[in-house]
Amino acid sequence: MHAKDLIQKSTYILIATIILLASWHIFSLLLRTPALPVPLAALQSFARLLPDELMPHLTISFYRVALSLLIATVLGVPMGLYLGKNQKADEFSAPLIYMTYPIPKVVFLPIFLILLGIGNISKIVLITLVIFYLILVTTRDAARNLSKEYVLSVRSLRAGELELYRHVYFPACLPAILTSLRLGLGMAMSVLFLVETYATREGIGFFIMNSWSSLAYDKMFAGIIAMGLMGFLLYLLLDACEKVLCSWVHL
Amino acid sequence: MEYLLIEALQVSYRQNNQHTPALKDFSLSLPFGSIGVLIGPSGCGKSTLLSVLADLNRNYQGTVLINGRSPQECATTALILQEYGLLPWKTVGDNIRLGLQIRGCSKQEIAKKTEKILHRLGLSGLSKRYPAQLSGGQRQRVAIARSLVLEPELLLMDEPFSSLDALTREEMQVLLLQLWQETRLTILLITHNIEEAVFLGQKIFVMSACPGTIIKEYTNPLAGGYSTRGKMGFLELANSLRAGLRGLN
Ligand SMILES: Nc1ncnc2c1ncn2[C@@H]1O[C@H](COP(=O)(O)OP(=O)(O)OP(=O)(O)O)[C@@H](O)[C@H]1O
Ligand SMILES: [Mg+2]
Repeated sequence: MHAKDLIQKSTYILIATIILLASWHIFSLLLRTPALPVPLAALQSFARLLPDELMPHLTISFYRVALSLLIATVLGVPMGLYLGKNQKADEFSAPLIYMTYPIPKVVFLPIFLILLGIGNISKIVLITLVIFYLILVTTRDAARNLSKEYVLSVRSLRAGELELYRHVYFPACLPAILTSLRLGLGMAMSVLFLVETYATREGIGFFIMNSWSSLAYDKMFAGIIAMGLMGFLLYLLLDACEKVLCSWVHL
Repeated sequence: MEYLLIEALQVSYRQNNQHTPALKDFSLSLPFGSIGVLIGPSGCGKSTLLSVLADLNRNYQGTVLINGRSPQECATTALILQEYGLLPWKTVGDNIRLGLQIRGCSKQEIAKKTEKILHRLGLSGLSKRYPAQLSGGQRQRVAIARSLVLEPELLLMDEPFSSLDALTREEMQVLLLQLWQETRLTILLITHNIEEAVFLGQKIFVMSACPGTIIKEYTNPLAGGYSTRGKMGFLELANSLRAGLRGLN
């Protein structure tokens, strides 16, 4: 059963890869521009650059994204659950959240650079801030819409507040939390690229922009492939989490 | 001896800054170890009453005593909700264990008690399944198991068998009677089904439309007789109940 699932999944991934590479190849033949090399050339330079040049950039980028996701989850989930459970606090905080949520957080990059320096912290804080809102709002709404009957039935077992969070609110909202993490990952990757093109010489975003400005398109695409793979691996990780933690959803 | 004593109970809900009473001047008493059945029109406050008894709603006026204690002090009450309230993210076994876990029982004790109740309710093979993988009757059994594993003194049931087919329903009624005989629980059960009320209820309380109050009370000697279904007295009582309820709608 499990082996069969795995084989099927790998087959789908393989097919997707082939489709992607084929359309890329066709496009690059049609466009005939050095800005879009054929996939084979890009893959070759990816393989050549990966061990020495790409790896340090990839590591630092991975560290920035993963840590941001982690911090945003640790902050956003408990707050979201709390607000979804407590109507008063929710009503009080809703205007504040809705007034700050739509502001593109990226505009604060200059402030963060001044306040937190040009190191990792300012980047991580910015990415965290972006995903935090997403997780907060999604978790809050999921907790808010939780069916009353679950809460009542567990309260009738004399559960305290903490037990309600543990046995009812958290597991009930977990599918929504994982969805918000998946969405957040996409946002995190684009913010990552942006913050890595300012005032830094590290990270995959810098690598891509740097290759671009020196017109090394094969290098640039090696960087894009690396970034895509990193996101893909993180998605696979989140999917695996959902399989393990939310098996009850897929019955 | 009266186990459950309710006098002049009044409960209202606030909606748009208006108090709408759900229960008004509600009085009821139920002896220890007996089965009481509440029957009444939809929306008359039956579920509201159970939420007061289960200490889910402390916003009431009047006297509510369970074995001489207020619902808040009384930790031996179990409630089974209209929709069972089983947690879909926990397996059958984990659902049943939950109450014991919350009480802080030891691992061995939890395992022993869970095993016993699973066996008693014929759920032994199902403990690893999720509620979504069960039939309606099995779900109801799990809900009963989850309550009984706590060895309650008072069992409150809100229309427990309403979504089951006729045969499963009768099977569950018999199971409930057996469990009641084994444990000598006091049971207060809500139903919309007149036959069920007569079959199970040693005392049958008929409620008025909202705001609910008790307008008639029957003492029913036929309750719990496995062979009384369809007998003369059974049908007479059922008809009298039916006439009483019809006057309300
Ligand atoms: N949370 C609430 N807020 C406001 N009004 C409520 C609330 N819950 C119930 N009510 C009202 O109180 C009354 C009694 O409701 P309750 O749920 O106790 O009825 P019931 O007898 O259990 O009905 P049914 O047989 O349909 O389950 C109804 O008129 C209902 O509209
Ligand atoms: Mg009800």
